[in-house]
Order: sequence, then C-alpha cells, then structure tokens
Amino acid sequence: MRQNPIRSLATASILFLLLPLVVGATSFLLQTSAPPATRIPSNIAWTSETLARASGGDAFHGMLLARRCDHCHGAEGFSPAAATPNLAGIDRPSIWKQLEDFRTQKRISPVMQPIVASLSERDVADVAAYYSMLPNFPDPQDNRSFPQSAPQPAHVALASRLVSTGDGERGIPPCQACHGPVAYRTGAPALSTQNADYIVRQLQNFADNTRSNDINMPMRTIASLLTEEEKHALAEYYGSGLGMLPAAATAPR
Amino acid sequence: MRLKQLRFLLILTAVLCCIPATRFYEIDLPLFRFLRGQNHVDPLSLHLSGEFVESNLGTAREADGSITVRMIAQQYLFVPHCILVPAGVPIRLRVTSADAVHSLSFSDTNYAVKVVPSNVSETRLQFPHPGEYKMPCREFCGAGHYAMRSRLVVVSRDQFPNLQPDERGNCAAR
Repeated sequence: MRQNPIRSLATASILFLLLPLVVGATSFLLQTSAPPATRIPSNIAWTSETLARASGGDAFHGMLLARRCDHCHGAEGFSPAAATPNLAGIDRPSIWKQLEDFRTQKRISPVMQPIVASLSERDVADVAAYYSMLPNFPDPQDNRSFPQSAPQPAHVALASRLVSTGDGERGIPPCQACHGPVAYRTGAPALSTQNADYIVRQLQNFADNTRSNDINMPMRTIASLLTEEEKHALAEYYGSGLGMLPAAATAPR
Repeated sequence: MRLKQLRFLLILTAVLCCIPATRFYEIDLPLFRFLRGQNHVDPLSLHLSGEFVESNLGTAREADGSITVRMIAQQYLFVPHCILVPAGVPIRLRVTSADAVHSLSFSDTNYAVKVVPSNVSETRLQFPHPGEYKMPCREFCGAGHYAMRSRLVVVSRDQFPNLQPDERGNCAAR
C-alpha cells in the first residue's frame, strides 16, 4: 500500500508532539529520590496581584482600626517600649506581609496572633496603609523609646561597615542594599527608625529558626552568619538613629 | 479530498504553533506546564511549591547514588550558603534565580553558570580532589552584588554524610 505523503507527515508531527510527553513521563518516573516534606515559609508570593492587594488599603479605615494597636505601638507609630517595633513610615507591603503571616501562623507571636485574628483580610491592608502614611521623624514631645542613646564607637564602626559594605569574605550582603536607604527589596522594611531591642531579638530568632517567615531564607542565612556582637552592634546602630544618616557619615575615618 | 487534507494540515499547524505561544505568553495550565518541562519555574513562587521549596534545597543523593545540588540565587545571596559535595562523583547542579540575572562561578575552575529567573540552569560538575572553592556572583545584580559570595566544600567520599533519600545536606553555619 502506497503511503500518502501528507498522512505520513501528519503522523510524524503527532509523534513529534507526543515526544516531550513520553520524555517527561519517563523522567518523572525515574526521579525516585523522595523529596522531604515541604516547608512553606510564607504563603505570600510577590506577584502583581499580591502587591495590589497589599497596597490597596484605605488609610482612614486603617486609622480607626489602628487604635487597638496604640497601647504597644504608640499613637504615632513609635513604641514606648524598645522591644516592640516602630511602624511609622514603613512601607505597606512589609507591614501587610507580617500581619498576613501572623494570620496564617507563619510567624508565631502569642501577642500578635489573637489581635490579627480579629482583622479581616481587607482590614490588614487598611492598617498597613495607615502606618505607612505616618511621619517617621523624631518628636521629643511624644512618649517613645526611639532614638536610644548612641552606642560605643567600636560598635558604630563594626555596624556601619556591615550596613554599608557587608562582609564579602563571609558572604554577608550590606544591610542597606535591601533595607534602605540605598535600595529596597519588596517586603524588606526600612530599618532607619527601628528599635534596637526589637532588631536584636529578630536577628536572634532568625538565626535559631524561631522566626522563619522570610521568603527563600535570606534573613535566616544572614543572621546565622552574624556573631552575637555584630547583632547587638547593628541593633544599636539602627536604634540610635544612625541609620537615618548615610552610612558613610558614621564610618570612622 | 484535497480540501480535507488541507484543513487537517492547517489545524495541525495551529496546534504546533501553540507550543511556542505557551512559552511566549506564559500560559499556566497543567498540560502546558508538562510540555515546558522541569526547567521552567515561576521565580516569584519558588518557596510555595515545586523543586525549589526551602526544604528541598541543598545536596541530595538520588536512588542511583548520583548527587544533585539545588540552589537559589537571589539578591544578594545564594541559598544554601555553603554547598557540600563529595570528591570524584559527578554532580548535577540545578540553580534558579528568584529575582535578577546572576552568574555562579567557582574559584580556580572554569565552571560558570548563568542563572536566569524563570529558568533552571542545569550543569554537570565534577571535583576530583577535596578542597574549598569560593562561589562569587559574576553578573552585576544590584547594590549588594560584590558581597554575594558563597562557598563550595568538597570532601572525600568517605567523609561525605550518608544522606537518606528525604535528607538534604549543606555546610551552612546553622
């Protein structure tokens, strides 16, 4: 029987189409090494829809909701206690991500979880919008723990080096490349007005895996590379307000 | 009869054109994901599912004894930060990027791997002797690029831990 050329071409094309299917199926079957149980650090992926959800909050409604945060985070977004984070002026996606992680049990805090449980998904974006709009300049009239007293000069030198250049030998990137003021990464909050005790506690929690909601584990990796002295030096650096200046201004000459 | 064959050919061409189109328009359907193969990943949701979830990163021993290393390059870190592999064993290195274009290179060798978001760069490597290699990023990736370095530690085969199938090894500080 004579083969129809078009028919045989069509058959070949169909076989060609099926080839990746067959290859894919066999490689899938051959891959026998069982992956370990999946651990998901955070349910959030920074897609454009997520960013729209995170930054689409209503700041006025957020202001009404945020009155329940006043007691710990301060009426102006600056905490009276140094162990509680300052929220004034921190960008919307960062605040929104942490609140969402509290809600989905990805970040564990016995204080925050019951509070966030009372907020809807919409409320969380509203609160983030409100705090991001608060001014973050110092106000001596307000009852706030920021800024703390200046750290010892040795700690300033250590911290300003890590903030501005990092440590290439150990592979520690500079803090300011993600936490500002040089560049910002989505979900990385500005640290220039953050409290010292809060920063050092978070670095310790990242290092010993108590806090593990950073996407693709950058902070867990960096915190585990830092020594205890460096963690304290960095916290004092930011907590005393030096982070508001360009790092070159605080570096020793 | 000719018309029928022509119509058949036209439909077939349309179907074939769909394959490049799925790559171009990033259509996300199970069938298209299957056709694209395992070397296509979504850089924004690496941590949610698939091969590059954080519990699957590091050195894995396959059932046939070969070694697979999975890494994520991101601004400005490689995760895991230190890779542990045995000497004299072929290694399959699979790297992907979570944000920008990076390039993974190994000191004192000719190996260099370009890491592009949404693609998995797969390379075969082999290190004959135990030793330590620096792995800097060689593609400018942003403000912290010059501090983006990680390490590769090659140990002899008897010093290499006996990894179980559901175990992933690395030599990071933790």
